[in-house]
Amino acid sequence: MGAAAARSEPGFPGALTGGREGVVRHLGADDRSSTRVRIVDGALRCLARSGIAKTTVDDIAREAGLSRATVYRTFPRGREGILAAVVETEVARLFSALAVAMGEATDLEDVLVAGMVEAARRMRSHGALVYLLEHEPGTVLPYLTFAELDRVLLVAGDLAAPFFARWLEPAEASRAAEWAVRIVLAYCSGPPAGTDLGDPDDARALVRAFVLPGILALRVDAAGGSPEPDHQADDSTRHRRPLTKGAARP
Amino acid sequence: MNPEVRERLLQATYDCVARWGLAKTTVEDAARQAGVSRATVYRYFPGGRDELISAVVGWEFARFFLRLYEEVSDAEGLEEVMERGIVFAHHALVEHEVLQRILVTEPEILLPRLTTEAEGTHTLVAAFLAPYLVRHGMAEGTDLDIAADFLARMVLSYISSPGRWDLDDPEQVALLVRSELLAGIR
Repeated sequence: MGAAAARSEPGFPGALTGGREGVVRHLGADDRSSTRVRIVDGALRCLARSGIAKTTVDDIAREAGLSRATVYRTFPRGREGILAAVVETEVARLFSALAVAMGEATDLEDVLVAGMVEAARRMRSHGALVYLLEHEPGTVLPYLTFAELDRVLLVAGDLAAPFFARWLEPAEASRAAEWAVRIVLAYCSGPPAGTDLGDPDDARALVRAFVLPGILALRVDAAGGSPEPDHQADDSTRHRRPLTKGAARP
Repeated sequence: MNPEVRERLLQATYDCVARWGLAKTTVEDAARQAGVSRATVYRYFPGGRDELISAVVGWEFARFFLRLYEEVSDAEGLEEVMERGIVFAHHALVEHEVLQRILVTEPEILLPRLTTEAEGTHTLVAAFLAPYLVRHGMAEGTDLDIAADFLARMVLSYISSPGRWDLDDPEQVALLVRSELLAGIR
C-alpha cells in the first residue's frame, strides 16, 4: 500500500491501491467475512452521517450491532484498519457493479456509456463519499489528485481493462480504461458540468463526440500512423464502424 | 484600496507560506512581512487569515496562468497551444517547490482550495481555450461550451496526474493531444 498507508493524517489508508487480492476478499461468505461486511457497512453509515473525524470504533460497533471486542478481533488495528477495509470493499462493490452493467453491452460505445453512467451514479449517490467531499475534503482529495491519482488511474485502469477486451487489444484496453476512469473522476469531482455523466443520453453524447474518436486515433497511430483500409469508410461511419459489435475482435 | 498594497500583502503572505506553511501563517506574520499593520490586512481581507490564504492561492494561480499565456501566445494552432501548454503546466506544477512541499505537509488544507473549491480554475481554462476552438475550427456539430468544458477538465487532470502518459516525451504529448483531447473536436 506504499506511501498512501504511510500518511499520518486521518484519511483512507491504502486508498484505492489495495490491489486485486484485497479487492475480492470480502466476497467470501464465511462468518468472519460476514462480520467484516457488517462492520464495513456500519462504518459506511457512520461516515455518511458524521464523517471520519467524529467516527469512533465504538460508534461503528454500535452501528453494526456488535461488541467493541468483536470489532477489534476482526480489525486489530481498529479504526485505521476499518477505513482501509471500507475503501477496499467499496472499490470491489463498484467494480462488481461495473462488471454487471458493462457485461450487458453489445459494442464499445455501449460499454463505455454503461460504465461511465454506473460509476458516476454510484459516486454521486455514495453517502460517505459525498459527506466527506463536502465536509472533510482533506481526507479524500489527497488520494484523488497528483501522484496518488496516477496510482489510482493505473490500478483502476487495469481493473477496468478486461471490460473492454472484447473490442480492443490489451494495450488499447488499458489505455481506454484509464481514460474512462479519468473522465468519470474529472466530471464528478470538478464544478458542476453541463454534461451529466449519470444521464445515459449525456454520457452517450460525450462518448460519441470525444471518446470513440480518441480511441480510434490511438489505434490508428499504433497501426503505423495511417488508418487501416478497414477504417476508411465514409466520414459518418468511420469513427464507429471498427468499434462496434460487427467488428468485435475474436 | 491600493492595488499595490494588495499585491505587496499577497507577496508577503506567499513568502510566509513558503517558509512556514499554510496552517502556521497568521495575519500578524503577513502584516509584519509586508510592513503594514494588522488593521491594514483586515481592511484588504476582511475575512482575515482564511480569506488571505484563499487569495494567495488564487494569486499564485493567476501568476502561473500569466506565464502559461506567454508561453503559448505565439503558438500556431490549437494542437500547438495544447502541446506546449500541457508540457509547460505539468513542469510548472512538478517543479513548483512551495506547491510540492505543501502537498506533502498540508494536503488537507491545500487540495480543497485547488479542486472542489476552485471553480474559477476550471472556468478560466475553459474560457482560455474557447477562442482557440473558435478560431481554429471544430468538427461540424461540436458544441463550443461542451468541448471547452471537456478540454478544461481533461487538461487539468493530465497536467497534475499524467497517468500512463509520459509528458516529457514530445511524441507522446503530440499523440495525447491528437487522440484523447482533440480527436473528436478537430
